[in-house]
Amino acid sequence: MLETTKIRKTFNANTVNEVRALQGVDLTIDEGSFVVVLGMNGSGKSTLLNAIAGSFRVDEGQIVLDGRNVTKWPEHKRARLIGRVFQNPFSGTAPEMSIAENFAMAAHRGKIRGLGWALSSELMQSLRDRIASLKMGLEDRLDNAIGSLSGGQRQALTLLMATWLRPSLLLLDEHTAALDPKSADQVITLSDEVIQRDQLTTLMVTHSMQQAVSLGDRIIMMHRGQIVHDFRGAEKKRLRTEDLLDRFEEIRRREQLDESAAQMLCDLYI
Amino acid sequence: MTLLLGALTIGLILSLLAMGVYVSFRIFDMPDITTDGSITLGAATAAILLVHGTNPFIATSIGAIAGAGAGVITGVLHTRFKINSLLAGILVMTALYSVNLHVMGRSNVPLMQAKTLTDYGDSLGQAVFRSESLILFGWEVGTAEFTVLLLSGVVAALAGLALYLFFRTHIGTAMRATGNNAQMIRALGANVERNIIFGLALSNGLVALSGALLAQYQGFADAQMGIGMVVWGLASVIIGEALVGSRSLGLTIAGAIMGSVLFRLLVAIALRWGLNPTDLKLITAAFVFAALVLPGLMKKINLQRSKAAA
Repeated sequence: MLETTKIRKTFNANTVNEVRALQGVDLTIDEGSFVVVLGMNGSGKSTLLNAIAGSFRVDEGQIVLDGRNVTKWPEHKRARLIGRVFQNPFSGTAPEMSIAENFAMAAHRGKIRGLGWALSSELMQSLRDRIASLKMGLEDRLDNAIGSLSGGQRQALTLLMATWLRPSLLLLDEHTAALDPKSADQVITLSDEVIQRDQLTTLMVTHSMQQAVSLGDRIIMMHRGQIVHDFRGAEKKRLRTEDLLDRFEEIRRREQLDESAAQMLCDLYI
Repeated sequence: MTLLLGALTIGLILSLLAMGVYVSFRIFDMPDITTDGSITLGAATAAILLVHGTNPFIATSIGAIAGAGAGVITGVLHTRFKINSLLAGILVMTALYSVNLHVMGRSNVPLMQAKTLTDYGDSLGQAVFRSESLILFGWEVGTAEFTVLLLSGVVAALAGLALYLFFRTHIGTAMRATGNNAQMIRALGANVERNIIFGLALSNGLVALSGALLAQYQGFADAQMGIGMVVWGLASVIIGEALVGSRSLGLTIAGAIMGSVLFRLLVAIALRWGLNPTDLKLITAAFVFAALVLPGLMKKINLQRSKAAA
């Protein structure tokens, strides 16, 4: 279970480039819930994920994960509880190291690494079985450098790595946005399978309305660093892409109204 | 023949330097100039202890540990204080110059009177072969020189093997990932900053060990002996990769050792043919420059050719 309370983050505070990326986000995610985060560019959805993962410290507020207050934990310590897949397919794997070695590291996510042999025979066996289930023909190429694989293959492997040890929270940050449509479909199907099978508490950022309506049990919509809509339960199930587009249009119009009102006041008084 | 044995021995001793540079330059992807200072630090520390009658094994170990300490400082400057890695290395190297002079108390410490590992090697050779000289492939060679060469080979091989085994363990694998994709290994729970500090300590420890052994072999430690050594190490690593390719971990480590020996041999031959020793560093630097630039240049030329052909 994840609980964020009034978290705020401002980048480049007190400069011309000041960005108020998170403006008091309250979010509670139940155990086993699969939440999709939607929002326009710059709405703060990726920042929210990074704040939870610990890429930076939040200015205010607190983050509680699994009953533990992780607000002040550094990123690598939070990795004990969190599995992550990044938008960039190259970010989640060490390209010059073999597939097997990458998984050996994932099998020790958040654990103390000792002087044991990284590629133990048990690991290799379970790895071969698990990777064979991907049906990508990679089980015979475990010793190949992972950098020789396609973006889609790497992203699928990153997902398996992130969930090799069951994480308390899985963070997917637009993890199919950089892939071709076919690979994106494969990775999405795989993600859904893994999440359902292990009942993983998941937070997934996406740009795709299609993914948002077909996946998960809850959608939150962000705008200007705040959560503006929260659909869950039966409401989420009824939701169609058109409804989501309507909500975006609504946000856009309100924005325009704000701007034109400001312009009018400006013309009148200055 | 004595010249050849000498070149091979120094090549093997400096292969520890090459492995140290391999760790910082290839595995952690940061050329670390601390090397220039830490090789002298290792030599100076070991030499001054030997002069005071310390057991050579202990003196050599303390020299290596001192070098590792220098690496820790560079690592802390880089990770904690966010100083550019190159600049952090330059700062520590510069500071080490004074430290080394303080350690030695003067700019040169001869080891003529002191009992060193080389002397141990000599006695061991006499005990095993029971003669002053022996015949090797029709050449008469000194038992002492030959034994020291063999022992240097054993040390280099053991160090290479230990390095290889270490980088295949859980912690070693995470170290390699730190240099390859820091974001990834951080997301898997490794403390990237600590890994970098440890890596630089390992690298400079090897370099200082090389310095301590070199001082004992050549019979003195000198404040100037570290100048340009990082480039020397780079040259060895690059030659090694040309020899064995850069595909697998074991091969590249073996390559660094072979590269170091081959480079030392080439230098010995060039000097023999009348190369002015003054030009040695210039030529080494030019060589590394060429080795870094040529592969990219060749690719470009080939590309243009194939374009012109099409």
